[in-house]
Amino acid sequence: MPADATTEPGSFRDRDSRVVVADDDVLRVLSERGAEDWHALAGSPLLERLIAEGKLVGTEEVDASAAGPAAGVVEGGAAAVLRHERVPFVSYPYEWPFGMLRDAALLQLDLELSALDAGLTLKDATPYNVQFRGSEPVFIDVGSFERLREDEPWAGYRQFCMLNLYPLLLQAYRDVPFQPWLRGSLDGISPREAAGLFSLRDRLRRGIFTHVALHARLERRYEEREGGEVKRDLKKARFKPELIKANVQRLRKLVARLSWKAGDTAWTGYRAQNTYSDADDAAKADFVRAAAAERPGGLAWDMGCNDGAYSRIAAEQADTVVAFDSDHPTVEALYRSLREQCDQRILPLVVNLADPSPGLGWRGRERRPLEDRGRPDLVLALALVHHVSITANVPLAEFLDWLHGLGARVVIEFPKREDPMVRRLLSGKREGSNADYDLAVFERDLEDRFTVDRREELPSGMRVLYLVRPAG
Amino acid sequence: MDLFAYLDPGSGSMLLQMLLGGIAGIAVSIKMFGKRVFGALAFWKKDEEKAEPEGPAGKAEAEDDQTERVKETV
Repeated sequence: MPADATTEPGSFRDRDSRVVVADDDVLRVLSERGAEDWHALAGSPLLERLIAEGKLVGTEEVDASAAGPAAGVVEGGAAAVLRHERVPFVSYPYEWPFGMLRDAALLQLDLELSALDAGLTLKDATPYNVQFRGSEPVFIDVGSFERLREDEPWAGYRQFCMLNLYPLLLQAYRDVPFQPWLRGSLDGISPREAAGLFSLRDRLRRGIFTHVALHARLERRYEEREGGEVKRDLKKARFKPELIKANVQRLRKLVARLSWKAGDTAWTGYRAQNTYSDADDAAKADFVRAAAAERPGGLAWDMGCNDGAYSRIAAEQADTVVAFDSDHPTVEALYRSLREQCDQRILPLVVNLADPSPGLGWRGRERRPLEDRGRPDLVLALALVHHVSITANVPLAEFLDWLHGLGARVVIEFPKREDPMVRRLLSGKREGSNADYDLAVFERDLEDRFTVDRREELPSGMRVLYLVRPAG
Repeated sequence: MDLFAYLDPGSGSMLLQMLLGGIAGIAVSIKMFGKRVFGALAFWKKDEEKAEPEGPAGKAEAEDDQTERVKETV
């Protein structure tokens, strides 16, 4: 075990299973009880099948001594240690478009159904247990599988509603973006809060009456009753796993039918309607392709990815491309198209660069800031800088400072003040505002921080592309 | 009771799962709630109702619920 092994700060809630990260290894340290559950899973045909189908993260048991000094992170010391395959880039539900949260929810329900058939269950139901390899969801919390207690309801049901179902219903039925809700509370939306968000008319819509209204009502009514007492009563009344199965099947049907008709925003039809000429597009594609080909492999970020055209070009060379855009419908459309192609390289995320994901949860470390989850080797900042500078009012020099801090090679595009889109963004502002948005100022600030390896003016004469690397 | 479960399943959420369990759930629901439902309806059995630990509180809650329901329909 390398000396710099660190306990993953997001895995403390389950005392029987903790994740330790060391160099290239992701290890899961299991307590005695956690190990018993793991052996129940490993002894069933489920484990191999789920890993082969790509639904469960690659996992193998290694010698318990592999935990080294980290063995003490679980009570009684490490009874078993697992090694997991690494996920290319960690993302969180408050960065996902609707379709990703829906597919993560479906994966959890499918796993719960498979688990029930094998005499197992999932002890929780949080979308944080799901990560994406490109557009493919994969369940990462092997420690969530435990042996089924025949007379107990599913402990994860309430959490499933709070972190999966309610956010999806909010988006599908009310067209309210769920990301700010999930970013605002790592526990999600409680049944009572959800009940307050839907109208009486919504109660007629699938899922609202039972999973929201009735749920909130029962919760209020039985607030004072101890969980243990309810469990005993259910046991006496002969609660059986068939009830969990019936409920999970209903949930699955409900979630699978949810859809969000993302309204056409300014950006979804961007490529068809934008002001670029085909010659500009072609020159830009060649420029990006050449830059990516210089250093194949690694991680690329495509900031302001829109329909992902340049993410796809970068993915010809990079191992993983994280494609950000702040426009939810655009990212949703990109995800759907990537999913159709079973893409495993491009990870589409809803991220506003002027307000990126911060550290959240216990000590602000349970969920990590965007930049702490893997530094890029190549950054694409195409048709972006005018939005950051003019729309979000971030001073250009500060934006370049931040870019420089990423330590990556950057392909950056500067649309001149005469560019139609820039003029549009400036048209609502006062005369002379955003004075720093100027080609000469930009080039001076850029050269202060980076070495410019290539500069190319696009055929329209409105935009300039640069390939730069951090100076010094 | 499972002393080790790290996640609180929620009392109301557990009961809801029973109600949503389809046909199999009905039988369990009747076993769980049946007695209480009949107890609440059987107003002539005052002594037995008092003997139930949740009797008076349950009744008060039931009344609260009714008023709430009326408010909602209004």
